[in-house]
Amino acid sequence: MVIPGPLDIKEAGRAPGVIRASGLEFRYGGGAPVLKGVDLEIGVGEVIAVVGPPGSGKTALLKLMAGLLAPTGGSLDVPARRTSGGRVMLGFAAEVEPHFESMTGQQNALFFARAAGLRKADAAASVAELIGLLGLGEDAHRPVSEYSFEARRRLLLVEALAHRPALTLIDNPFMGLDQAARSALIHVLRLQSAKRGTVVVASPTLTLLPELADRILFLHEGRIVTGGRVAELLASLGNATRIEIRFERRPHRIEAQFRPGTKVLSDGDPFVLESGRGPAAVGDVCAALVATGAVIKSVTVREADLEEVFRRATGVELSA
Amino acid sequence: MTPAVWSVQWRLALTRKRVFILNFFVPLTLVLPVATGAVPPGAAAGVYVVLFAAFSMFGSAIPLRWEGQRGMSARIVRAGVAPSSYLLQRAGAGAVLDTLQLTPALLIAAVAVGAAPGDVVTAVVALAATAWIGGLVGIIVAAASRSITETALFTAVAVPLLAHMSGVFRNPEPGSYQALLETGSPFGALHEALLEMTMGAGGGGGVAMVVWAVALPVAVAMLGPRLHTALGRVNRGGLEGA
Repeated sequence: MVIPGPLDIKEAGRAPGVIRASGLEFRYGGGAPVLKGVDLEIGVGEVIAVVGPPGSGKTALLKLMAGLLAPTGGSLDVPARRTSGGRVMLGFAAEVEPHFESMTGQQNALFFARAAGLRKADAAASVAELIGLLGLGEDAHRPVSEYSFEARRRLLLVEALAHRPALTLIDNPFMGLDQAARSALIHVLRLQSAKRGTVVVASPTLTLLPELADRILFLHEGRIVTGGRVAELLASLGNATRIEIRFERRPHRIEAQFRPGTKVLSDGDPFVLESGRGPAAVGDVCAALVATGAVIKSVTVREADLEEVFRRATGVELSA
Repeated sequence: MTPAVWSVQWRLALTRKRVFILNFFVPLTLVLPVATGAVPPGAAAGVYVVLFAAFSMFGSAIPLRWEGQRGMSARIVRAGVAPSSYLLQRAGAGAVLDTLQLTPALLIAAVAVGAAPGDVVTAVVALAATAWIGGLVGIIVAAASRSITETALFTAVAVPLLAHMSGVFRNPEPGSYQALLETGSPFGALHEALLEMTMGAGGGGGVAMVVWAVALPVAVAMLGPRLHTALGRVNRGGLEGA
């Protein structure tokens, strides 16, 4: 049984997996703006992770892409929102979605796969394959009303992916999944991407995203503050190790002499330094500070990681 | 090919065994004392019309409003089912189920008066048409309301109003506007069929019934996207607010 992949979907010369946004704005009713001029371009087959703290506008951005919300400013072009040859090209999994509660998970998934335009046999094959991959297992044959939160999340993913959409949008992809299901989801989404299916996920954390995403876009207070390929983002940090020091007692003025390659980023509380010598610099830094009469309360060492990219771009922690 | 929304409705009805059985027994319980008591046949026919119309309208409007409020109808349409197709398939499945569940009550009423088989068949056909029409009116009522409480309220108003228009519990002056309303009312055929079945003094209303049975689905099909969008609108306060 060959299940059609996103490659089989064509639409009037335009690749359905492309997304273009320019100056995209959104606000709920008369409320404060949620998105404040988002510009982005996502290509066919890309896997994009939109990362930001709660309230940054991730879910609104995903819902705008899915057509569940309408922009209040700017433009957004998502060709995959249209159907092609009777097939729905968009797959969307919100954090929570309603189901036919008294029907089994398999029956629900089959209904939605058929609704999206798959033939009966193709729908059955695709649903069975995803149920196996995502570990829904025996739960698939029980009524959804008996499902745990985790089983509901797995079912939602099966339903979003079963029709092999050209564009897959998933809010909080790993929420409620165990490690095996997370790995399986990464595998399935990378497979979608290999078949030129575009994937956009939104997440408040970076967990597993470097393994999944081609590019990561950091969203903060309704704006994309930075983004790029994982390697590029890490390279932008250099090899610097960030050292944050809090004092039990600090001298009025710190005049410590640090070794070359170590520079002070902030003279506040915490006292922040950056060193190109890695964690080995910590001992020298502490010794130099103690020599000035400081009593150190705590030392935090941060290696160059993606959370640091967000912190540098916004000045705040990704996971507060 | 659109997936069979109607078959899902059937599947859901059959999996909820308790509700499915109750839907047989509640109409029976209500019809039995009327059919076996010393109720004048004309009044009994009126009670049956109100009961059957209420059953079909409430049975369509309340679950549909609930499905709209919890986002299920939006999800079904987003998944690829056309709004009109979704609403009409739902109404169709509901009409068949309602007919199935109301027919035993109708047969009790027929047996109690020793009705002629031909009149019973006519009444069953009118009942099926009423279930179809009532279900479609229920869709409009559900779309016009903003909470389940409101849906129940609107349906509770619409049922007696439409039944009254159909000649239940009144005898309009021939040639009056009320008589004109009666000839064009959606449940007139059922009322006439039940009068014929219970006292041999009815007949008519068939043309209006056919017109309603054809015009309403056309209207629902044309207004499908709007009705569907309206189903997702909820009052601030949700279930609490009427």
